[in-house]
Amino acid sequence: MTEISKVVLDIADLHAWYGESKALHGMNFEIREGELVTLLGRNGAGKTTALRCIMGLVRKKTGAITYRGDNLAARAPEIIARRGIAYCPEERGIFSSLSVAENLELPPVIAKGGMTVDEILELFPNLKARWQSPGTKLSGGEQQMLAIGRILRTGAKLLIFDEPTEGLAPVIVKQIAVVLEKLKARGFTILLVEQNFRFAAKLADRHFVVDHGKVVERFSRDELAGNEAKIQAYLGV
Amino acid sequence: MAMMDLIGVPPALLFGQLLVGLINGSFYAMMSLGVAIIFGMLRIGNFVHGAQYMLGAFGAWYLMRLPELFPGLGLPSIGYWWALVIVPLVVAVIGALMERIFIRRVYDLDHAYGLLLTVGLAMAIEGAFNVYYGAAGQMYGVPDTLKGGINLGFMFLPIYRAWVIAVAIVVCFGTWYVVERTKLGSYLRAATENPDLVRAFGINVPRLLMLTYAFGVGLAGFAGVMAAPIYQVSPQMGQGIIITIFAVVVIGGMGSIFGAIVSGLMLGVIEGLTKVFYPQASSTVIFIIMALVLIFRPAGLFGKETTSHSVADVSSGRSGSFLENGRLWLAIFAIGGGLLPFVIYPVMGMKILVLALFALAYNLIFGYVGLLAFGHAAFYGASSYVTAHAAAAWGLPTELCILLGVSVATAIGVLFGWLAIRRQGLYFAMITLALAQIIYFYAVQAPWTHGEDGIQSVPRGTLFGLIDLSNTLNMYYVTLVVFLVGFAFVYRIIHSPFGQTLKSIRENEPRAISLGYSTDRFKLIAFTLSAMLSGVAGGLKAIIFQLASLADVFFMTSADVLLMTLIGGVGTLLGPVVGAAVLVTLQRELATLGAWVVVVQGAIFVLCVLFLRKGIVGTLEEFLSNRAERKAQKGVKTTEAVAKTEAAQ
Ligand SMILES: Nc1ncnc2c1ncn2[C@@H]1O[C@H](COP(=O)(O)OP(=O)(O)OP(=O)(O)O)[C@@H](O)[C@H]1O
Ligand SMILES: [Mg+2]
Repeated sequence: MTEISKVVLDIADLHAWYGESKALHGMNFEIREGELVTLLGRNGAGKTTALRCIMGLVRKKTGAITYRGDNLAARAPEIIARRGIAYCPEERGIFSSLSVAENLELPPVIAKGGMTVDEILELFPNLKARWQSPGTKLSGGEQQMLAIGRILRTGAKLLIFDEPTEGLAPVIVKQIAVVLEKLKARGFTILLVEQNFRFAAKLADRHFVVDHGKVVERFSRDELAGNEAKIQAYLGV
Repeated sequence: MAMMDLIGVPPALLFGQLLVGLINGSFYAMMSLGVAIIFGMLRIGNFVHGAQYMLGAFGAWYLMRLPELFPGLGLPSIGYWWALVIVPLVVAVIGALMERIFIRRVYDLDHAYGLLLTVGLAMAIEGAFNVYYGAAGQMYGVPDTLKGGINLGFMFLPIYRAWVIAVAIVVCFGTWYVVERTKLGSYLRAATENPDLVRAFGINVPRLLMLTYAFGVGLAGFAGVMAAPIYQVSPQMGQGIIITIFAVVVIGGMGSIFGAIVSGLMLGVIEGLTKVFYPQASSTVIFIIMALVLIFRPAGLFGKETTSHSVADVSSGRSGSFLENGRLWLAIFAIGGGLLPFVIYPVMGMKILVLALFALAYNLIFGYVGLLAFGHAAFYGASSYVTAHAAAAWGLPTELCILLGVSVATAIGVLFGWLAIRRQGLYFAMITLALAQIIYFYAVQAPWTHGEDGIQSVPRGTLFGLIDLSNTLNMYYVTLVVFLVGFAFVYRIIHSPFGQTLKSIRENEPRAISLGYSTDRFKLIAFTLSAMLSGVAGGLKAIIFQLASLADVFFMTSADVLLMTLIGGVGTLLGPVVGAAVLVTLQRELATLGAWVVVVQGAIFVLCVLFLRKGIVGTLEEFLSNRAERKAQKGVKTTEAVAKTEAAQ
C-alpha cells in the first residue's frame, strides 16, 4: 500500500468488561479501505473480545468504534451488521438445525455487490455436494468454508474473521489463504484474527499485536523481517 | 364390532370417548405447540398460556355480546367467524405488549424467573376474571353453519367437532411447516441456537422474539375461540389445562414442535380411551405417562438430549453476616415466638409458623440446591390428608398421625425426586408440577379424602397423652417448638459438609461431578429432606386447623410457598420466615378485598421477579455488605495515608 487510503474502521481507547472482570484495557487500531490487517496475540489476549465489541455483542464497554464516520459503540448488533460489517465468529458458528443451504442463505443481503451463491460455491466446491445436509454434519474444514462463504453474500464491505484456520489441516489452511487473497482482490476490507503467524504474514498488509487487552506493537508488511523474534515472543506462551 | 362387544364396551361409548379424546387432543396440540415454540425461542416456560387461552374464549364471547355490554353504542353482535380472525390478533397484540413490558426483562436471568413471572401474570389475569365472572361458565353457541352432525352408522359425529379436529391439524402442521421449511423458520431455528450470532448477521432478534411470543399467544387465543362453543367459557378454563399442557410438552420433548403436536393428539386419545376402560385414572393418565417417559426417555419422545447447566443466580446469604447466624436467630425466635400470642392472635401466629416451616423446607431445595421445585403442595397436602385421616377416622394419637403423614410425604418425595432429578431448570419445575397433579387428582377422587369438603373436624387430641391440644395456647407452643426444631435442623443441614456439597453443586455442577461427587444422589437426599419437612408442616397444619382440604394439594399452594421464599429471600436463612410472616399478614390485611386477593398476589409475584429478586432479607444483606465494604475501603485508605505520612517523615 503505497498511497494512503482512507480509514474505514477506527478503534480508539476501547475498554471492555465481562461482568466485573476487564478484558480490554484501552485498545487502539485502525483499518483502511481495501486493507487486510491482522490482530495477533496469544490465547486470552482479547482479540475475540475486540471483534465482539465491534459487532456490538459486548455491552459493557467504553471508547469509540468509528465505522465510516459513524460511532458504533452504542449500536445494536443488527444495526451494525446493516451498516456493512460481516462477522465470521470463532468456532465457526454453524447452526446444527439448519441445512448447509439454509446456513449459507441465512444472513440477509444488506447491500448490493455481494457475491452470488454460484460464485461462493465456485470458491468452495466441496459445499455443493453437501448442499442439503445438516450444517454440523460437515467436517471441520467444510464448516469453516461454510462459515466464510456465508458472509460473502450480504454485500458487506468489511469482513471480520476470527481464527479461520484454527484446528484445520495444512491443505485447507492453504485453500483459505487463497480465498482470502481473492476476496482482497475483489475489494473487500478484511480484519483477521490469527494465532497462526506464518499464515497471517503472507496475507496481511499490517499486523497489530494484542497483549493483555491492548495493542502493544504494530508492523507493516515491510517491517516484519526484522521483528519476527519479537512477534513470536508475544505469541509464544 | 364383535370384538368390542367381546371386551364388554359398547361401540357408541368407545367411539364417543375416542372423539372426545381427539377433541381434547386437538386443543392440547394447539396449546402445547405454542408453549413449545415459546420455550424453544425465548427459554420461557409460559405458564400464562392458559390465561391467554381463556382470553381468547372470553374475547369471542364479548364480541358476540357487544350490544348487551355497551347498550348505548348500537354496536352489532360479532359472530364466530369474525371472532376467529379478530380475537387471535387481539390476543397476540396483548401478548406482544406483555413481552415488551414484562417478559423481555427476564431473558438474561435464570429460567426460574421466567416461570415465576408468568405464574404471577396468570394469577393476576385469571384472578381478575374470577372477580367478575366467578366460577360460573358462560355459554357460547355453535355457529349456525357448523350445527348438526353426520350419522356415521356406528356413531353420530357433530360437525363442529369434526371442524375443530380438522382446523387444529391444519394449524399445527402449517406452523410446523413454517418453522421447519421456510426462510422465516430458519431465522427462528438459528436464533434458538445462537441469538447473538443471528443478531450479528443483521437480523433483529429482539423483534423476532416478540413476534414469536405474540404468535404463540395468538395461537392460544385461537384455541380459546375454537373452544368457546365446546367447553364453557369460564375464568378457570385455562388454569385447568395449563398443567396438562406442560406435561404434554415434557412428554413430546421440550422445544420439539413436532413432538408437541403428535403427543398432544395422542395423549388426548389415550385420555379418552382411559375414560372408557378405567375411568378412575382418566385425569391422571397423562401425568403417569409423563413419569414413565421420564424413566425411559428423559429427553421426551421427540426431544434431543440437552445438557444445559443453567447456573441458578439466586441470591444467597453471606456467611458471617449476623443475618445468617442460626444460633442468634433461634434464640430470637424462641423468645419472640414465646411472646407472640400476646401480641397477635395465636391462630395467626400458628399459621405463620407452619408456613415458615414449609418455606424453610422449600428453600432447602430451591435456595440451596438451586432446583426450582414447583410441586411441594404434593408433600404438604399428602401429609395433611394422611394426618387428618389418621386422627379423624382411626383416632390415632396425634404424634403418630403426624408421623404417618410425614412418612407418606417422605415416600412421595423419594419417588418424585427420583423421577425429577433427571432434569434441571425449567424441566424440573414442569415435572414436579405435573407429578404433584397426580396427588391432587387422587385427592379429588379418592373416597376417604371427601372431595370438595375435605376432612373436617379433625380432633387435635393430646400430645404424648399429656398436653391437651384443644387448648389454643398449648397448640401454639407445640407448633412453636416444632418450628424451632425445624429451623435448627435446616441450619444444621446447611452448615454440615453435606450442605457445603449442595452449595458447590448449585454453583458449579460440572465441577462437582468432576470432583467425584454423585451429584444426583445429593440432590435426591436434599429433595427428600425438603419433602419430609414439608410433610411436618402439612401434618401440623391439619391438626392446628382441624382440616385437610383440596387447597392443601392444589398447585397454588406450591406457588404460595415459592412466593414466600422469593419475597423473603431465596437462599437466605431468614428469608422463608420473613416471607411467611409477610404473606400471612398481607393475606389477612387484604381479606376485605375478597376475590381480589389473588390478583394482588399475582401482582406481588410479578413485582418481586422484576424488582426484588433478592427478596427482603437478600436486599438487606446486600445493603449491609455494601456498607461493610465501603467501611473496609475507607479503613484501607486511612492506613495507606498514615503509611504515606510516616514514609514522608
Ligand atoms: N464470556 C466471557 N466471560 C468472562 N470472561 C471472558 C469471556 N470471554 C472471554 N473472557 C476473558 O476475556 C479475556 C479475553 O478473551 P478473548 O476471548 O477476547 O481472548 P482471545 O484473544 O480471543 O483468545 P483466544 O486466542 O484463545 O481465542 C480472557 O481473559 C478471557 O478469559
Ligand atoms: Mg478468541
